[in-house]
Amino acid sequence: LAQAQLSTKAGVEGSLLGAYAMLAGKGYTRFAGPNNWVYGSILGGDANKGTDPGDYTAINPIQRYEAPATDGDINGSWNAKYEGISRANTTIRLATASTELSDTDKKRIIAEARVLRGHFYFELKKIFNSVPYIDETKDYGTGIEKVANTPDFWDKIEADFKAGMDNLPETLDQAGRVNKWAAASYLGKTYLFEKKYTEAKAIFDQVIANGKTTNGKKYGLVAKYAEIFNAENDNHEESIFAVQTSMNTGSTNNSNAWDDLNYPYNTGANGPGNCCGFFQPSFSLANSFRTDANGLPLLDGSYNTGSNQLVNDYGVESNAAFTPDKGNLDPRIDHSIGRRGIPYLDWIDHPGKDWIRSQPYAGPYSPKKYVYYKTQENTLTDGSSWTRGYATMNYTIIRFADVLLMAAEAEVEVGSLEKAREYVNRVRARAANPSGFVTKAGKPAANYVISLYNTAWTDKAVARKAVRFERKLELSGEGHRFFDLVRWGEAATELNAYLAYESKFLVTMFGGAKFTSSKNEYLPIPQTQIDIQGKDILKQNPGY
Amino acid sequence: LMLLYAVSTVAQDRKVTGKVVGVDNQGIPGVSIMIKGTRTGTTSDASGSFSINSKSSSDVLVFSGIGFKAKEVSVGGQTTLNVVLSEDVSALEEVIVTGYATTNKKESTAAISTVKAKDLTAVPSGNVEQQLQGRVTGVTVITNGQPGTSSIIRVRGFGALGGNEPLYVVDGVPVGSTDFLSPDDIESTTVLKDAAAASIYGARAANGVIVYTTKKGTKKARKLEVSYDGLIGFTDPNVAGAPKMLSPQEQADWTQQAYRNNAAANGTAVQYTHPQYGSSATATLPDYLYATGVGSGIRGSVDINALRAAYAANPGNTFLIKPNKAGTNWYDEITRVAPIQRHSLGFSGGTESSRYYIGLGVQDQSGILLANSFKRYSFRANTEFDLSKKVRIGENLQFTYRSVVGQAGGNNGLGIADSESEVLAAYRMPTIIPVFDEFGSYASTIAQGFNNPRNPVRRLMLNNSNDGNFNVNGFGNIYLEVDPIENLTLRSSIGGQYNNYYYKDYNYRYLGDSEPEASNSFSEGTGYSFSWVFSNTASYKLKVDKHAATIFGGIEALNTGVGRNIAGSGINPFSMDLDYVNMSVVQNPVVNSSLFSGVNFYSLFGKVDYSFNDKYYLTALVRRDGSSRFGANSRIGVFPAFSAAWRVTSEEFMKEIPFISDLKIRGGWGQMGNSNNVNPNNQYSLYASDRGTSFYPISGTNNGADAGFYRSRIGNPDAKWETAVTTNIGIDATLLNGRFEVVLDWWRKDTKDLLFQVPLPGVVGASASAPSVNIASMMNSGIDFQIINKGKLTKDLKYDLTWNSSFLKNEISSLAPNVSYFEGTTYRGISPIRNAVGQSISSFFGYEVIGYFASADEVKSSPAQDGAGVGRFKYKDLNGDGKITPDDRTFIGSPVPTYTGGVNIGLQYKNFDFSTYIYTSLGNKIFNMSKWFTDFFGTFEGSGKGVRAKDSWTPALGNSAQGPIWESASNLSTSGASNSWYVEDGSYLRMQNLSIGYTVPKSALAKLGLSRARISVSANNIFTVTKYKGLDPGVGGAVDTNFGIDVGNYPVTRSFNVGLNLGF
Repeated sequence: LAQAQLSTKAGVEGSLLGAYAMLAGKGYTRFAGPNNWVYGSILGGDANKGTDPGDYTAINPIQRYEAPATDGDINGSWNAKYEGISRANTTIRLATASTELSDTDKKRIIAEARVLRGHFYFELKKIFNSVPYIDETKDYGTGIEKVANTPDFWDKIEADFKAGMDNLPETLDQAGRVNKWAAASYLGKTYLFEKKYTEAKAIFDQVIANGKTTNGKKYGLVAKYAEIFNAENDNHEESIFAVQTSMNTGSTNNSNAWDDLNYPYNTGANGPGNCCGFFQPSFSLANSFRTDANGLPLLDGSYNTGSNQLVNDYGVESNAAFTPDKGNLDPRIDHSIGRRGIPYLDWIDHPGKDWIRSQPYAGPYSPKKYVYYKTQENTLTDGSSWTRGYATMNYTIIRFADVLLMAAEAEVEVGSLEKAREYVNRVRARAANPSGFVTKAGKPAANYVISLYNTAWTDKAVARKAVRFERKLELSGEGHRFFDLVRWGEAATELNAYLAYESKFLVTMFGGAKFTSSKNEYLPIPQTQIDIQGKDILKQNPGY
Repeated sequence: LMLLYAVSTVAQDRKVTGKVVGVDNQGIPGVSIMIKGTRTGTTSDASGSFSINSKSSSDVLVFSGIGFKAKEVSVGGQTTLNVVLSEDVSALEEVIVTGYATTNKKESTAAISTVKAKDLTAVPSGNVEQQLQGRVTGVTVITNGQPGTSSIIRVRGFGALGGNEPLYVVDGVPVGSTDFLSPDDIESTTVLKDAAAASIYGARAANGVIVYTTKKGTKKARKLEVSYDGLIGFTDPNVAGAPKMLSPQEQADWTQQAYRNNAAANGTAVQYTHPQYGSSATATLPDYLYATGVGSGIRGSVDINALRAAYAANPGNTFLIKPNKAGTNWYDEITRVAPIQRHSLGFSGGTESSRYYIGLGVQDQSGILLANSFKRYSFRANTEFDLSKKVRIGENLQFTYRSVVGQAGGNNGLGIADSESEVLAAYRMPTIIPVFDEFGSYASTIAQGFNNPRNPVRRLMLNNSNDGNFNVNGFGNIYLEVDPIENLTLRSSIGGQYNNYYYKDYNYRYLGDSEPEASNSFSEGTGYSFSWVFSNTASYKLKVDKHAATIFGGIEALNTGVGRNIAGSGINPFSMDLDYVNMSVVQNPVVNSSLFSGVNFYSLFGKVDYSFNDKYYLTALVRRDGSSRFGANSRIGVFPAFSAAWRVTSEEFMKEIPFISDLKIRGGWGQMGNSNNVNPNNQYSLYASDRGTSFYPISGTNNGADAGFYRSRIGNPDAKWETAVTTNIGIDATLLNGRFEVVLDWWRKDTKDLLFQVPLPGVVGASASAPSVNIASMMNSGIDFQIINKGKLTKDLKYDLTWNSSFLKNEISSLAPNVSYFEGTTYRGISPIRNAVGQSISSFFGYEVIGYFASADEVKSSPAQDGAGVGRFKYKDLNGDGKITPDDRTFIGSPVPTYTGGVNIGLQYKNFDFSTYIYTSLGNKIFNMSKWFTDFFGTFEGSGKGVRAKDSWTPALGNSAQGPIWESASNLSTSGASNSWYVEDGSYLRMQNLSIGYTVPKSALAKLGLSRARISVSANNIFTVTKYKGLDPGVGGAVDTNFGIDVGNYPVTRSFNVGLNLGF
């Protein structure tokens, strides 16, 4: 197709859809998926690579914070984000030049494209920090390769989301589009990352009060935690900005293709996917769900010590006897982590080692959140490729619980601790809904003890800790943790403690690994890009 | 004209009859007898007899036959002529077909090689191009053992970064591939190597031109001659030569050893955690590997009745797997002794004014891999008629049905070596797993602890057995030749090729793998292409005194092929019954189609050959090509070439040196073009829509998605031809009265304006193809050397010996400003190839292994290296900065052979003939990627491992170990980096053919009613001398910038044939 053919309304709309398609990193590395399972969750200590040492070895150094600048997947992630930016910029150019678009459509399309562009730059900012900022005025032949990388482009991200907030309608016919409130939520998130707490709070206040989804549902929390992770509920009231996925499209790339390896291993017909045992939740994450006698998390970090540690089946054969942990647990654990003896969605009880590719290497747990149900096989999965593991469950880039917790953070920082407590409790109240518990033989599958923070928050530091820990529990495995740790300045302490703990079990994986401050907060700028554009244009990140 | 014609017909005709015999007084069949200066002629029959109508007593008859010296005899008043021809010692008169024209060895000023027809048929292959290996100097051939595979054929090096296939011309029609040809139909094969020879093909000549001419028959009144050539035999898969794998007990023992090594490396207590081999230091094998419900090793009995019931209820998902304690030899299981047969019938004949050849061929060959087969049925009809004395019309026509099933590797089999094929799967499958389980289902890695290999027997038998894949091909041309005045020939030819292919592919659900294939699936597709060429040429011969000249010119238009493809796929039809499955009954059908409109060429060309007194020869030629492949800015290319030769032996002073029978010194310079390596769309900036990369379900549905667009290509309207500038200096010599013939060429080919896709920065949007720009350059140089020695050892024992040698140096001279390299494909995280300035194409790049770390102290005292540990690779700190970084990588080998050569030895004793052919390739390296899978415990831990485990690093072995310590870790210091340990010497010498034949004496033939009969036995690929540890050192690859990687090659193995050649 020549460019002229894309200047029609349908053409410009198609170009915009092309930009949406890149939310999923289509055609690029699995690492470029929207859920940041490697960069957000694995690097954040929610999970490890899983599987065995010799499989997808490129992740080995990355999860040990030894990522080489020459790594092809990191380069692929860079390319995927810029492909998205390029498509957004192309759309803006086409829309601006098009004579066939109504002003309303033109305004909307440009605003949608800007929100998408803002998202891709937000991703680049989180992952690489310092990158070239390219808008619609630069392209091949007009100096695009001469734009140097810089960490200073928060203002431009703000501007894109602001434009979205100002120019997009509240609702649209097609649920997959970003609307005014998605842009607003993202703007709030941007302010939060910039530590502009007052501005963030102001935005979040509006979002929480007035926000609605593109398909017109007032923002709220779904009743049961598990309902968030169920394709049948896609585009629910908690879904602020989601990557739409689908089957029967002629390509598995339109499903959750970035997660196709992230299923338990060797399950046969008893379990979902086929493959490949990646993305196994960490010991530390599992222990984090321990609650005290009051049903509150162990904010002092003692969850990794003594009897607070979860009883697990590490080193236990599947045909040997095992009794799961009997202690107090946050019920979200069994929506977030597959573990022995607990029903694995509507499949069978997780059999432990039989479903783990190499338990000595990667531990006893399986991923669970974005896994499809047995009843959904072939109706909400795409079976047209080599594995069954192509779910069609929207990944939510921003969900309402995330907004509540971000708002809580802002409230803590501006000093309104009780407002923060209210938001956190709203999230916890949903988690505590007993009808949402995982059950076995009609009874809760484990000893779930969870309660709200019933005592007023008076100490800012304690409140901050509680909010941050809630974020860890609520959003585990959803690709946020590492970026949160980095912006909080906690990455080195938290992650070195994580490595020290995990490497007691997973020696081959983590023995000798360490997180280096002022280096590992960001990934290296891909060497390939430096080679192409020149060292004077692209400066490598510190420490690499 | 009419008048002249009328006059000549009234002249008094007189019949001259006779017999042509050799010095042994045996009749010589097939000798051409022409009345000098006319086109009237005939051919001697099987007994050497001939009959011709002479018009005048001043007529001179010219007798010429292949292998004999031509002889001229004046008719005078004779009506009976018995002529004795002596054998031609120099073969200088041998006619060489050069595409548009013919020349002969004596007059040629260019670098041209020919291949004997019988050399093409000596080894039965599915694709005649394979037989050029070692037969032609200056041609690199890398092939594999798949029947019907494509091969890497490179004439004089690798001229460009891609698209280096030579141009094939069959009967004047350019084609992309010669796989449709039946070798028995081929009369002659000529390889045009330098510009002086090839530039007449202009923009498509830079990679050399290979010209095939098919059999034509001869003009004379004679009865039909029928020939039969057949062979029948088999190919042995060479099971003994396959890499040795650990036995079940050894694998178990080495697993426990790895756990000990892991514990030592990590300073922890040993845990024997393998689900099959027991939890004690001494490994034991279980009684069952798997019984549905229990995935880990079972010691003791199983509830067989319950399992039987489960199997009856759900056979696809119930398995009971016993260990094969003796060990399964998976390579043996996936291979077989593969039969082959080939039969050709040739019918030729003619009248005074016509000739014809009809060829029927069939080849039916099984691959050594299960369910892999090749079939070719061909029909050829070549005819030519004299419409008058001055007008001839002729045609060449071929229909071919060709079927290749079970072929693996990209580009029609070319890419097999670096594909993770079923050959690799045979290495990866643990020997303890049996082929079948106790219920007769295929057994596989559903049993715990063996990681993810899939039973390759199941994959081949289930997924290939019912597949179909064929094409039907019509090829040919029709031509008209007119001689309007004496010595002027006008020729017009229109030709083309129509190709239609179809395939169907069934894949079956199988749940017995650790990573099961969950769905039945079916796909099928078809497509066609049509290409045409219309050529008009004129040739005028001039002889004035001692000056002789041929002036040749032409005009040509062609299209490389228009066509369409359509393919569909889908899963889980209600039944996989072969009579039921089609695209209408599958679920989730996906249909893709594409179209292409080919590239148009419009060309003018001309050539002048001048010679003086058979002493000095000059040739000048030029071609002007216009091609739609390029933008309007640079569509036209002009390619000139000049060459000259000095026939030294024509000088008086040389007559004094009797041992030099003939000596000619040649030199040539010229330019040739290459346009293969660029997409015709390169001139345009384009947008595209793609289900996999730009669709999005924007409406929020879970079913279906909406089309989106993305930029797919950034155009370069200025791209033009790549130009190869070649220089060639050669010597042709005939020594000792024809006992020796020597051809020596030194050549150099500099390709400039190479089309290179300068990598785009990611910020531009990496889904767009970068434009190809004319920026890079490449240098190839070499020496081609051929010696032929023949003679008689005794009266009855004749011998001939041919030695072809080619030396090649290939180097990338430049890529683009600030671009010094680009990388090849990544294999399991390893990028072994870097195409870099100053190195050969596809060079291997990585760390240099200087040994293994002997102790923790050595690790500490050595330069810092990620993942360093005792028994792991120790890399060289090349830049001496005290740490091992990517900057310490270097070039560690090249897959380009520096020398290739072939020796052919023929002996003839009375009616017995013997010949052998040896090929060698020296100086090429192989990156043995298959070792990544078999030589590390930690790469897909639990999968099958090779016996080199037993020589893995121990303190006692130290640096003489074959690989690093046996352990789970997988990192830069173990399996995770490209390094010199993977690189092996790929040089080899192979005896490719040994055959003994017996020709039935003429005296006995008459009784049998035959004119010719020969029976032969032959063996191919008898032995290979190599240091390479993989299965076969003939390691190719699908693209020039990425070859020499062996992930599990399809080997060329020994075969045995019995052949029969008959003439009626």
